[in-house]
Amino acid sequence: MTDATVPKKYAEELAKTLAAGDTAAAVAATEAAIGEGVDPLALIQQTVVPTLTEVGQKFEDLEIFLPELMAAGEAGNACSKVIEDALTKSGGESYTKGTIILGTVKGDIHDIGKNIVGSLFKAHGYKVVDVGKDVTDAKFIEAAEQNNADVIAASALMSITRAGCREIADLLSELDLADKYKFIIGGGSTDQPYADEIGADGYSFTASGAVELVNSLLK
Amino acid sequence: MFTRERLIEIYQRSRSGKFMKEVEYDLMLAKRVQELLKEYDIKYDPKNVCPADDAMADRVFQAGLQLLVDVGAYHLDTQRVIKFTKEEILDCLRLAPDTLNLGEGKDMVVAKHRNIEDPNPPLNLTGPAGQACDEEYYLANLTSYAQEPFVDAIESGATLTFNGFDIMAGTLMEVMAVQRDAATAREAVRRVGKPGMHIGDAATGMTAVGKMAASEPINGLRPCDGRLVAQMCELKVDDDQLNRVPHLLNYGSFIINLMTPLTGGVGGGPDGVAVVSVAETLLGVVAYYADYHYLSITHIKRANNSDQWGMYVLAMAGQAMARNSHIVWTCDPFCVSGPVTDELLYEVAQHAVISTVCGYTQHGVGATGGFEPNHHTGLEAGWQGEVGVATANSGITREKANEIALKCLEKYEATFDTPKRGLPFQEAYDLKSLQPIEEWKECYRRVKADLAKWGLQFTEGPWD
Repeated sequence: MTDATVPKKYAEELAKTLAAGDTAAAVAATEAAIGEGVDPLALIQQTVVPTLTEVGQKFEDLEIFLPELMAAGEAGNACSKVIEDALTKSGGESYTKGTIILGTVKGDIHDIGKNIVGSLFKAHGYKVVDVGKDVTDAKFIEAAEQNNADVIAASALMSITRAGCREIADLLSELDLADKYKFIIGGGSTDQPYADEIGADGYSFTASGAVELVNSLLK
Repeated sequence: MFTRERLIEIYQRSRSGKFMKEVEYDLMLAKRVQELLKEYDIKYDPKNVCPADDAMADRVFQAGLQLLVDVGAYHLDTQRVIKFTKEEILDCLRLAPDTLNLGEGKDMVVAKHRNIEDPNPPLNLTGPAGQACDEEYYLANLTSYAQEPFVDAIESGATLTFNGFDIMAGTLMEVMAVQRDAATAREAVRRVGKPGMHIGDAATGMTAVGKMAASEPINGLRPCDGRLVAQMCELKVDDDQLNRVPHLLNYGSFIINLMTPLTGGVGGGPDGVAVVSVAETLLGVVAYYADYHYLSITHIKRANNSDQWGMYVLAMAGQAMARNSHIVWTCDPFCVSGPVTDELLYEVAQHAVISTVCGYTQHGVGATGGFEPNHHTGLEAGWQGEVGVATANSGITREKANEIALKCLEKYEATFDTPKRGLPFQEAYDLKSLQPIEEWKECYRRVKADLAKWGLQFTEGPWD
């Protein structure tokens, strides 16, 4: 955490443009703030994360629809990149709460749920490495190793693709990596008994529940 | 353009269209939908979920057509946009069939285009709607659908295991499971004395290889049966889906365009999703050579369509296509409740009433939002067919359908956050006699009495 604060005029402009999903304006607001000496870490902690969290909550409450969530997420990604670059240049501390490898399992091309979860993870300060859809067990684990991840999150919507979750769990055990990463699953074809059966560390029915699950697993 | 040439043309466009990131396409589509809603003055009213507004129905059609022309379809593998001209789409629509002979022999049924408030009752092409079933109950489960008197066709459901092993998509396990499950569906229709009944899909198959594995003219799926070719949300195709098309054309089997537009998704609210649903239907016509269409509206959080949003999309998209095309169009109720609850039957009933007056043939039924394996039975599917027939026979208008649907909604809306998931098939039925348990029959009688009170004239049903 940082003790620095974000001046009101920068906080308001960034929050407004982020919530509206206006990527160009949000990036401009971020650059202007950093250019004026605002602490990048404060910007992310006090403005970007709370704003995206609020957008995520509005989506959960169906006050807004998926396009608004996606647009805000895209704007948030662009701002985060500007902030990360500034942090790297200044040698400052990282703001991420953890790194999550996220994808849909082999054979499953349904990724809307995965994308919503990804947006909410980012809104809550996690770095998300989205490995996409129809992803093999080996690729999930390879991405985790390459990115020094904390969590592997796999989604399976259709009934006959959920076996891909078991393959990931089995390969993690086989490679002695089950204790290194928290492995969680979700999606329409999965449930808690299945998560227990394959030895996953957790399951969530909802996107917001997945954030709470990761928060508790990484405590 | 002849069939083969048009297939090649679609392939070429999927390799040469504009390259675009998927998220950019989604946001472009979302923006264009909102613009079209304003341009065509399309507005959702939660109190009028089944509007009797022909002019608005025509505007929904025009907006959907314009949407497909403007944004095209997104090819997920190549990340390119496949564009179509308005003339091309309308040409294909003119060539699409208006009458289908589904199934064979004495069990064949004739599906025809239906109009708004059509006096001809809808067929009920039903089944587990792709919901998962344990392999040990699979034959009994499918038989429970086929035996229902108001069921005209079944769709093979989806199993989770093959001889106890997980089925992995794209592997020999999927192929073997599909072969078994297609043969099981055939056995189910044989057991009820309807060996030629149309079988709408082999839902265990997720991949093109899996779907094609069901093609077997004796014990599997015959040319008189069908297979789903799906779109991904929204207006997205890929090679695996397109690969099914030449196979099914060659086999002579029915191609069914599956759409699952998300309310609250990229299309936005119900007015936007109605427009997207029309665009997706037209995409099925122009890219998939669909013989008939299957609209499965899906709430982005609950996976149902029994709320006001789902009702409105169903009503407006249906009327738009009924008035502006001659295609055969089906839809399914996807419900939050499960078997052996009154709520499930009210959810199904409202859908059957609206869909019948808005020009659909029926398909279904999804229970528990598809979240609970085995929580689906023949009773609710037969009930859907029975309500559809009663709706048409009773001369129900759109205004009356709106009234009945909202009365049904009052019976289950409060359970959306804590749905009653009910009982699995193996507890809802006696597995030897394949009769519903008495409690399930009582639900049927109670809800039927209410619907009769609200204006539906029923004939004798199977569980009275």
